[in-house]
Amino acid sequence: MRRPHLALALALLMVPGFAFADARSQAKKYFNQGMSLINDGRYEEGIDRLLQAYDIKPHPNVLFNVARAYESLGRPGLAIAFYRRYAETEPGDLTQVNAAIARLEAALPKPQPAVVAEPVRPAEPAKPEPSRGTVDEATMARLQTLAERMESALSKIEATAQATAQKPPAVSTEGPQRDEDDDGLTEVPYEETVVTASRRAQSTLEAPNATTIITGEEIRLSGARSLPELLRRVPGADVMAMGVASYNLSFRGFNQRVANKVLVLIDGRTEYQDFLGLTLWGSLPVGLEEIERIEVIRGPGSALYGANAMLGVINIITRAPGKGSAAELTAVAGNSNRAGGSFVASGGSVFKYRASAGYEQSDKFSRDYDDGRPDVQSNVEHDTLGLSAARANVVATVNPSKDVSVSVSGGVNRFFTEIYALGLLRNYFLDGVNGYALADAKLGPLKLKLFWNHLTGSTGPQYSAIGQRSLLTVLESNVFDGEALFQREFKLLGTHRLGAGASSRLKRLSWGYLSGMKQELHAAAFLQDEWRIIERLLLTVSYRLDYRPAVEGAGPTFAHSPRVSLMWRVNASHAVRFSFSTAFREPTFLESYTDIRAPVPGINGASVLTQGSTTLNPERLTSFELGYRGELGSAGLTWEVALYQNQVSDLVVLSAVNPVPADQAFDERSQSYLLGRSTFTNDPSSYAARGGEVGATWAAVDGLDLRFSAALQNISSDAATSVCGPCSQAPTFKLFVGATYRTPVDLDFSIDAAYTTATVWVEREPDPQDPTRISNLQNPLPAYAVVNARIGYRLLKDRVSVAVVGTQLAQPHAEHPFGNLVNRRVFATVTVKP
Amino acid sequence: MKALFAAALVFSLGLMGCEPPMVYSTADRRQNTALSRIEGEVVITGKARGAVVLFLFDATRPPPPVGTGRPVSLTVVPRDDVFAGSNANDTGPFVARYAFSLVPPGKYTVRGFIDTNADFVPWYSVTSEVNGGDVGGAAIDVATGASRVIDVSAEQPTVVDVPVSFSDTATVTVDRPAFSESTGNPTITVTASGGNKVFDINATPLNTGIVHEGKPAFLVKAIDDNKDGVPDDTNGDGLPDVWPKIFVRKLSDLDNPLADENDVDRNGVLDANGADYEHVNPLTGTTIPADGQPDAVVLAAGIDLTDILPLVLEPGGAPKPQPTAVASLHIVMKPLAIDVSNPRAPAPLRALPKGRYALTVMQFTGQTWRVPNELAPGVSERFGLPTVASQAFVIQVP
Repeated sequence: MRRPHLALALALLMVPGFAFADARSQAKKYFNQGMSLINDGRYEEGIDRLLQAYDIKPHPNVLFNVARAYESLGRPGLAIAFYRRYAETEPGDLTQVNAAIARLEAALPKPQPAVVAEPVRPAEPAKPEPSRGTVDEATMARLQTLAERMESALSKIEATAQATAQKPPAVSTEGPQRDEDDDGLTEVPYEETVVTASRRAQSTLEAPNATTIITGEEIRLSGARSLPELLRRVPGADVMAMGVASYNLSFRGFNQRVANKVLVLIDGRTEYQDFLGLTLWGSLPVGLEEIERIEVIRGPGSALYGANAMLGVINIITRAPGKGSAAELTAVAGNSNRAGGSFVASGGSVFKYRASAGYEQSDKFSRDYDDGRPDVQSNVEHDTLGLSAARANVVATVNPSKDVSVSVSGGVNRFFTEIYALGLLRNYFLDGVNGYALADAKLGPLKLKLFWNHLTGSTGPQYSAIGQRSLLTVLESNVFDGEALFQREFKLLGTHRLGAGASSRLKRLSWGYLSGMKQELHAAAFLQDEWRIIERLLLTVSYRLDYRPAVEGAGPTFAHSPRVSLMWRVNASHAVRFSFSTAFREPTFLESYTDIRAPVPGINGASVLTQGSTTLNPERLTSFELGYRGELGSAGLTWEVALYQNQVSDLVVLSAVNPVPADQAFDERSQSYLLGRSTFTNDPSSYAARGGEVGATWAAVDGLDLRFSAALQNISSDAATSVCGPCSQAPTFKLFVGATYRTPVDLDFSIDAAYTTATVWVEREPDPQDPTRISNLQNPLPAYAVVNARIGYRLLKDRVSVAVVGTQLAQPHAEHPFGNLVNRRVFATVTVKP
Repeated sequence: MKALFAAALVFSLGLMGCEPPMVYSTADRRQNTALSRIEGEVVITGKARGAVVLFLFDATRPPPPVGTGRPVSLTVVPRDDVFAGSNANDTGPFVARYAFSLVPPGKYTVRGFIDTNADFVPWYSVTSEVNGGDVGGAAIDVATGASRVIDVSAEQPTVVDVPVSFSDTATVTVDRPAFSESTGNPTITVTASGGNKVFDINATPLNTGIVHEGKPAFLVKAIDDNKDGVPDDTNGDGLPDVWPKIFVRKLSDLDNPLADENDVDRNGVLDANGADYEHVNPLTGTTIPADGQPDAVVLAAGIDLTDILPLVLEPGGAPKPQPTAVASLHIVMKPLAIDVSNPRAPAPLRALPKGRYALTVMQFTGQTWRVPNELAPGVSERFGLPTVASQAFVIQVP
């Protein structure tokens, strides 16, 4: 009689692959169920489940556990077959595994005693039990036949898996281009991992920060075309769409125009524009289809990442070269002039590569002014355009050995996007080129990273009063960064995992809004020790020192960023964490050196001078956080809770407009009279942000994933004034719910909704009756909801997928009092994987 | 379900299009206004050189000497835009574009001057007017020769083309009438029972910091607005009206030491709310209760004409056509407060409102000087201006 597991394995070859919304969750669910069955002595059912898990997402340790189960079941032939498959992945315990194979082969003619399987791969292979008898030749022959059949089945299973994942079921040897050279595989199969929190792969249960992972599959099924839109699902994320590609993002409050407190990385390379203090979401050189996963670290990250990782870190991890489909073509078309397409190619063996190119355009959600007005004109040729981006990217990696790899990559994006500027300034455009070159090397425990970021283009207000002096200008930014990271493990009163690194960054900026070309050379060193005191108790201590050079009128400064996190892993599925950490945000070039004369609206002969200050203190954050993360693997349910208190001080703000000395009243540069001067300065007030976040995902049934997150926050100030911008601008409550269902009949459904409560924004505006009077006004913003949905259809064995996506399906709304009226977008996508 | 998908696909394809994004005015107040633009050319004839400063005035609130209005906007045409490449002896005409942007509906006049000595700064009363050597100009109605009134429609935002002419013939001959109290008294006290106060003010050169009033003088001249050859006598006191005019205006509190009472924002328009005083019926002497409207309080003051009349009148009593420059004026101030919130119907107050009062001298050229001003100790530091003790002179009602 054919064994159930074998029948299942073969059946998987006969029918179209059943796809899952979240492969990892589903695989983990099956794996846990399998191990539970094996522990109950129901070996064959357990093996079936493990093979199902393996089919969804191959993991070498599943092979090991299948082998162990067969060994326990007394089927040495099959056990040998799976041990061999496991051995082909070149695991760390290869010697022991080969010994086990030899032992089993030696004992093959004899019946094998039962051994209870462990839930995970043990350090030592099971010792052979004394033989209890012999088998006849017929039995041997039958076992041999079964073993051969299983070998065949496994090969096909793996072929199927490769067709969807293009990754051999082996421990990863992918290159370091995927951030700290880790693809997330850990000892525990299907455990959710994160590399950003500690700059190495670790279980999210043990991460020293609250973390959220958005997988590539989740991105594709959501239909999102904008990365910030995806981040609405992250508990505590404040996503503010000002325009179709103009987003401001923050965590746990403090969002603003030109939001500057979240560090955004792509494969460990910063996309945070140091000189402005924001991320140009429309200028990223990689497309969504290239993303393997997005790791979101909520809370301070300066202990490892230094400046600007103040409220969080977003690390966009792209697919490893050679992984995934050999080619993928995507086309997008929809209303509001949305059109685009992309091509991704990936392949190679020793020398692996991934290359991509894409284009996307879309109109604004809304225009601030109509055409043909006598008072205001557009400064851009296509005044309806909100985004256009033509990009190309290439990554190549070579792995001479498991411990050595070298990767180089480069990309460019010719883009047009919107930025909503600060103070009296309003909607800006940036028409330019964003490019980078990156080299990574892994030399055993040493990792090196060098990159160059380049941004150039023209910029200015999208609209300006006709007759007023132009603020159009050009800029060029270059950032050169080098970093070395050393990691090793040792034992001393427990296990230590030590990481030490040093980095340096040269920033150069030429911009018409500054007084001349500016340059700064920064340096930093950091150290982290993860000390596993006992098996369930992990203490993570980190410290980073950042050096800022002497700049005009100010001496060198040092920023210290310590972090301590104590994690108690209650059991394999639950962990509690307490963290204390600090973070800072370096004043940007804009805040340090800006020198802008903005015309006073309606008074062409007058300007307001906005100036930077080189004596600014960095913004500081001190954070206390209590986190709990748990999962019910057999039910596919994971959840997390975080409670935090952040103390924020030295916020960099624009001062009131103060008179300039009389002898400086006439400005030769602008040929106008300076009404006053507003200077970037440190806010003397301190702010306390307190809140709680909860998030959960549930792989409810096969193909169905449910997601939920909510955040409650309150920000208060010690300022004597009654008006507190950061307090009233932070929404008190945010809610996200989402569902994704991949049906067995090739139809996919996805819907998500995010709700944000009302806020009041304090913004600077001139008095309409007397424009020379500039005051801070309170602008209420009603609560709003964002609803997105996707219906997709897969055909030709998933080689082609067609989808209809609707975004912003709820009521049109603004997410900032000055922002676009965000409204409905509908578009279709076609993806082909030849 | 596949049919559902197909329907959704067809629906979405049907939605595809290139309709432009809607126009949506955000909470930004500037987006919620439909404003106009006044633009045109400045046309300059003469040898004067400098940046051209243009003012937009509300036609209902004309500037001195006709009224006390202040500009609602200003624009600057850089010197190089007008005179680049010209020789010192070239007389033009020189032409350059100018614009007033974001102009609300209303009626306006445009005036301006060539700032030949580059000493104009609009933010301080001591630097915000023309001086000797500057060349005045205006948008003129060619039919009448008067200032052109520009009507910006409230119905439809528009662009109005308005040329502005400047000529050496409109060169300002003297500096502003900067003055100080002759004895150096910091304060003159006025009381209801104290009778008239008489004191002298002297034209006082001020060359300090950005203030350049090297040759101030008072230009005395009989007023004959109706040009009938007879001096005007608007108050019917039997004496001719004479330039300069004298105003003694009540000041705001010490938090705004230079602002007029009830005009804290210093825009020349009474605030919506403010101090209000009892009036008196001049015919019956009865008290008129405060009406809840803010008052513009001045003290009755003028020039003692004893020594002036021969300078302003011909022997036959006709006004002399040319002004006479004098270095000193004899000021007479009565213990009478008047509400001039309605300039056409000044109303006497029951009592003298207590507080500080500023003295302003207005020439027939429209040039003015006022004390106390931004040069006063305790105030000048705030503006980065030099300190001049005499410019702190104030009239006090205890």
